[in-house]
Amino acid sequence: MKRTMSRSFISLILAAAFLLGLGLLCLRYVKDGDMWANQTYNQHLAFGKGLSGAGKIYDRNGTILAQSVDSQRYYNEDYYTRLATLHTVGDGSYNIATAVQTARRAQLVGHNGIFGYGLPESLRPKGDVSLTLDADVCAEVYEEFAGKKGACMVYNYKTGEVLCMVSTPSYDPQNVPEEIPEGAYLNNAVSSTYSPGSIYKIITTIALMESGADIENMTFTCEGERDFGGDTVTCLEEHGEMDIYQAFAWSCNIAFAEAATTAGAENMQRVSESLGVTKSYLVGSVRTAQGHFDLSDANDNDLAWSGVGQYTNMVSPAYMAILCGAVANSGEARLPHYVQGERSGTTRLMSEETAEKMQDIMRYTVSDYYGDTMFGGLTVGAKTGTAEVGEGKEPNAWMVGYSTDAEYPLAFAVVVEEGGYGFYSAGPIARTAMIGCAQSLGFEG
Amino acid sequence: MTQFMVDVAVVGLRILLAVYALIIIYQCFASMRRQKRQEAPLVMLYNSTIRKKIPVLCWENLIGRGKGCDIVIEDPTVSRSHCVLLRRKEGWFINDIGSKSGTRVNGRPVHGRHRVTIDDEIKIGSTTLTLRRGEEYDGEMRHHWFFSRVSSKPSVSAPALIFLTNLFHLFMAVEICISYEKFVLEAFEILGAVVLFSWVFYLFSAGVFRRSNFELETLAVLLVGAGSILLVSQDIMDAWIQIIAAMIGAAGYLIMLKFIENPDRIVNWRMAIMIISLVFLGINLAFGRMEFGAANRIYIGGVSVQPSEIVKVAYIFVGASALDHLQTKRNFLEFVVFSALCVGALALMGDFGTALIFFMSFIMISIIRSGDYKTSVLALAGAAFAVVIILKFKPYIAQRFAVWGHALEDPYNAGYQQSGVLTYIASGGLFGVGVGNGILRYYGASETDLVFGIITEEIGLIIALAFAVVLCGLVVYSRAIGTRSRSTFYSISASCAASMMLVQASLNIFGCTDILPLTGVTLPFISAGGSSMLSSFGLLAFIKAADERTYNRSKRLPQR
Repeated sequence: MKRTMSRSFISLILAAAFLLGLGLLCLRYVKDGDMWANQTYNQHLAFGKGLSGAGKIYDRNGTILAQSVDSQRYYNEDYYTRLATLHTVGDGSYNIATAVQTARRAQLVGHNGIFGYGLPESLRPKGDVSLTLDADVCAEVYEEFAGKKGACMVYNYKTGEVLCMVSTPSYDPQNVPEEIPEGAYLNNAVSSTYSPGSIYKIITTIALMESGADIENMTFTCEGERDFGGDTVTCLEEHGEMDIYQAFAWSCNIAFAEAATTAGAENMQRVSESLGVTKSYLVGSVRTAQGHFDLSDANDNDLAWSGVGQYTNMVSPAYMAILCGAVANSGEARLPHYVQGERSGTTRLMSEETAEKMQDIMRYTVSDYYGDTMFGGLTVGAKTGTAEVGEGKEPNAWMVGYSTDAEYPLAFAVVVEEGGYGFYSAGPIARTAMIGCAQSLGFEG
Repeated sequence: MTQFMVDVAVVGLRILLAVYALIIIYQCFASMRRQKRQEAPLVMLYNSTIRKKIPVLCWENLIGRGKGCDIVIEDPTVSRSHCVLLRRKEGWFINDIGSKSGTRVNGRPVHGRHRVTIDDEIKIGSTTLTLRRGEEYDGEMRHHWFFSRVSSKPSVSAPALIFLTNLFHLFMAVEICISYEKFVLEAFEILGAVVLFSWVFYLFSAGVFRRSNFELETLAVLLVGAGSILLVSQDIMDAWIQIIAAMIGAAGYLIMLKFIENPDRIVNWRMAIMIISLVFLGINLAFGRMEFGAANRIYIGGVSVQPSEIVKVAYIFVGASALDHLQTKRNFLEFVVFSALCVGALALMGDFGTALIFFMSFIMISIIRSGDYKTSVLALAGAAFAVVIILKFKPYIAQRFAVWGHALEDPYNAGYQQSGVLTYIASGGLFGVGVGNGILRYYGASETDLVFGIITEEIGLIIALAFAVVLCGLVVYSRAIGTRSRSTFYSISASCAASMMLVQASLNIFGCTDILPLTGVTLPFISAGGSSMLSSFGLLAFIKAADERTYNRSKRLPQR
């Protein structure tokens, strides 16, 4: 009997293991409960059922973007505001991953660890969500796209707050059309990647610096085309002899094909990776689509084209804004977020020295080439891009950059699909977005 | 305003339900802990050689020189395991178990079981032990911590506990009425059946069979009733099957208690029960139809039966039945072969969840019976090997393993059930969304495999955890009462039966919540299914039998 009893101690070990298991379950419930509840298949939230009593969504100025009145969900009364904020506010469905009505539905509906969704609507503590966006600027920017597809993002690279994030095509969440435009569920700013074209020259320049080249004293010569690795690289003009500032401002393909060749494939690959081209970054609670840069199968001509951003390079607009923010912020990138109260981390993409040199080069492009009137007097450094995307299609137009004014620390990225020449197509959108966002921070220009 | 008042009342009722469940469960266990146990030892042995009084606490006591003996005699002429002093209905016996120097009673050498009475002198080696009355013992008595709150004040009476439980079920039925007007009648029919069941069960237990106490049974009724009422708006037929099975199970429980009353009868029936079990499994193998990836049920006149559930009870019975001279190698080997046949048959049926439960019980029983950890390690290694083979040849099981730990990454295919459970657990919160308002009930097989999720979603995490703790508490209780059981059979079977239920509960609860791979086994007393209900009551009978008072009220025991 004594032996039996001492051996039956094993049953108590089993009981202890069981209690540990229950403890683990409780721990996970506390930690992940909101995430468990906030699943798209959760029928407690389906068919707008959850949203009928959900909290309000505000922009940074307190404008109501969505609210529930008498068990009905109403969005902002202005048509353009509704379309411009669709990808951040969302609709009744779960189709738009970046929208807070998807990503934070649990909070909006009033889910909590104590009552779950068990409280009747009248007793539910509704969770309001405030965005960091300026809805008016978003609406202006949306109009500026004039039906073209693309994306625009402007964010404060000191605090991480996104002031403007617009993706087109969009649709009206108040009157959801029968036929959703193709690609409208995607927030192109975060979830899509595009061929970068000339905006990749920012990365090529950094790769050239990091390879040890004395870029201040380098000169490049452009005769319209040149042979690289047995095939030609062409330029839009014959730029003649120039330094790195002029090459960058004039966006000379020959100069940057040479820069990539000088830096070498190894440096191009290494710097692209260390700058985060191929990484995914958190924008609030969603991840950016990973970019692409892979020279493993590239010949010398491919390497040359990759320096111009025309090989297999791909980047997302959000990533480009983060990169420009890092250039402006002494090399340290503050990751963006668009819900107030969220905190975003930082990551160093380049050294302070590299960032300062890059600032000089990007600043020269605006001050000596585009002119500061373009951005209403803001101190902007920028780069445009015109990315060829294939036969029979107009190129994608890009403009990316930042302002270094202490009160308006803004970084931006604009892409217009089949927009044509970068400066003429993406430029006006960038101007509207930057001036609008700066005004939102108190700029009077 | 009225709607607001109704809403407040609804939420208030849910909170009340949770608090109430805790009170009932606390009262049951508190009542168990207050059990007044016999103060004096059963008898006393007086060692006249060294003038020492030895209290005899158990019905079966191994006497010898070995440290593991119940009564250790420090005398080099005594064998390591010398003899057994045991009590049966007829009185006390001494049984020599092959000692070198033999055992003498009043000077005469004895072989086999020999009756001893008060003042008889038992001589083992050069030590003489005199059998004395228990009351003559005046030394310290050790109390088990579980029973440290022993009180002469009467704890909550059984009828009061049953009434409290009935009230709990009434609240659940009221919740159905709030959610579904069309189920009002059904809800109260089932409630009525549960109430009737609880009182008939009590009357038979206390009145006809004269069993003392009703806490274990109350806990079972609490779980059975909750499970049945949750089924009302899901499948009313299942709810009725549940109650009818519980009634049959309770009847079986009372009959089983009677059957195992006599430890000698257990030994005689051991072989027969082993053979019947194997025949059951054989019939299942021959006639079982493949359903949901396992052929573990047969149909008798349209009623689906799972023989493996009934064999669970027989398995504990066979595994725990010990002889007078405690553990012998021969019947242990028998048990190993029996276990292998059971687990093998279950594996052939494709019921790997149940096979795992049997295997875990085998490990438990073999450790408790033989203390042989080496064999257990070997068995575990063998099992690990078997798992690898299963994963290789049963791709659907491999898939369950593949999704284990990250079910939410694949919520529409492999992780469908577990993600659903997690999502709806979080949706239910601590107090639930109300009986009948859940979504998980629409998932396939949710009333058996995912029932823990249904409880949490509809009546809240607090109650779900409390129910889980009840099953865990049975293990602690089994071990506590096992110290004073009438025979090692009762202590082993109680610990193993409670552990078996807990292993099953672990596989069910942690399987559906993605802490363990999903195996699709039932939650004792709660999951829908008649066979599972029968086996739950069968296992509970072992725990009840281990309580020394269970058979005390039925007839006066021969004193000394």
